[in-house]
Amino acid sequence: MTGLMPHDDPTLLVHAYLDGELDPINSVAVEQRMADDPALVAEYERVAALRQLLAERLPREAAPAHLRGRISSAIGLRQSRAQPSWRALAASIAVTAVLASGATWLALGPTADNGTADAIVADHIRALMAPQPTDVVTSDQHTVKPWFNGRIPEAPRVVDLAKDDFPLVGARIDVVGRTPVPTLVYRRHRHLISLTAIPGSRELEMAPVHKTMDGYNLMNWTDHGVTYWLVSDVAVSDLDQFCRLFRTTSPATDQ
Amino acid sequence: MPVVEFQAARPSHRPQAQTNNLHRANPVSDPRPTNDVHLVSVDDQRARFDKVVLPHLDDAFALARWLTGNRTDAEDVVQDACLRAFRAIGGFAEGNARAWVLTIVRHTAYTWLHKNRPAALVMVDDLEAAEEAQSNRSEPEVETPESILIAKTDSAALEAAIAALPAPFRETVVLRDIQGLDYREIADVTGVPIGTVMSRLARGRRRLMATIARSAS
Repeated sequence: MTGLMPHDDPTLLVHAYLDGELDPINSVAVEQRMADDPALVAEYERVAALRQLLAERLPREAAPAHLRGRISSAIGLRQSRAQPSWRALAASIAVTAVLASGATWLALGPTADNGTADAIVADHIRALMAPQPTDVVTSDQHTVKPWFNGRIPEAPRVVDLAKDDFPLVGARIDVVGRTPVPTLVYRRHRHLISLTAIPGSRELEMAPVHKTMDGYNLMNWTDHGVTYWLVSDVAVSDLDQFCRLFRTTSPATDQ
Repeated sequence: MPVVEFQAARPSHRPQAQTNNLHRANPVSDPRPTNDVHLVSVDDQRARFDKVVLPHLDDAFALARWLTGNRTDAEDVVQDACLRAFRAIGGFAEGNARAWVLTIVRHTAYTWLHKNRPAALVMVDDLEAAEEAQSNRSEPEVETPESILIAKTDSAALEAAIAALPAPFRETVVLRDIQGLDYREIADVTGVPIGTVMSRLARGRRRLMATIARSAS
């Protein structure tokens, strides 16, 4: 967040540091100031505790079920129309199929990115609207990998990021183009993050790229020929953090 | 020195220009040329509403509840906000749908409160002006160790402490710590500069900690 710091009240910078809003240079500067100032360390610890308290102790606030109906009738929507994601999904499959006719799988390169992004977002929206955002519910990476085996050719890389505040929620199979692909679902506070792994990229490595689509934040990058897509409504800074952690954390040894 | 800066940043909780336009004509009956992006069919409008607004209904409701203080009022506010969002959906370009929805909810909530619960909003302007005229260090000092805060605070006490925050602090803390928006998004939703978001967040959190510490001791 360079250039967005209109003042340098060290206390405000400690808050911004905790909120993941500082760029690396400013982060180091704050760490140095904390090393010299116990009052700033105390502020850091209090605010961290408060954030944890707010994340853990407040009951989740869901809109009452009848509100959706009230809104639908207020704007004249019929109930049956409240499922756009299937249409979006169907449309995106058609688009991707056209773009990638023939070698569908291998052709999912950069030119098909928008089709892929569409499908990724549609799958995420559908998951949010379904009773369960995952096909298998588990916070254990050792349960997830065997579940994928037998459903798709290759189980994806799964890492445990619970200690970094990204607990694993579960997994599901999504469809991109006509290909079933593995999707892991992590949680950031009350928000879900879908991570889809698409093997067979033409590029072996690609740096992370950000996108926004229908109000969702997307990120994709390629490691070892596998393209990873993140989609969520969490802040971009949270996605950045997730991406960094996912790429640098080693998976636990598989049994 | 920060005082000048904060005061300069003060056209604060006025709704943004963008939200002021929400009452404009229904895009469907708008007689502009057909290639205008605002002119969408009713079907498209509904499909876009389903895709852009409905996924954020829980967030919309949560913000409305924190701003109005109760679930019944929050339902009225969210329904009203959804109608506004539906009318304005043709003008929503690619972008952050959640921030857009929350901006409308926030604006609707304050309009609604002005009309139906004027007492709830009285003094907020004066209070913030008074606080900003004082030093930035005027927040209560918190000496309780964080372990005690965590061990002793239950969710009811926490909710009460948040509800007791003045609106500008409350909305900032809620958007950041409960709804997870980043500073840029909060600045967009509340229509203030990022520096103001930062100082409100720090003050709101400090007030919260002071309240919690008092009730825990």
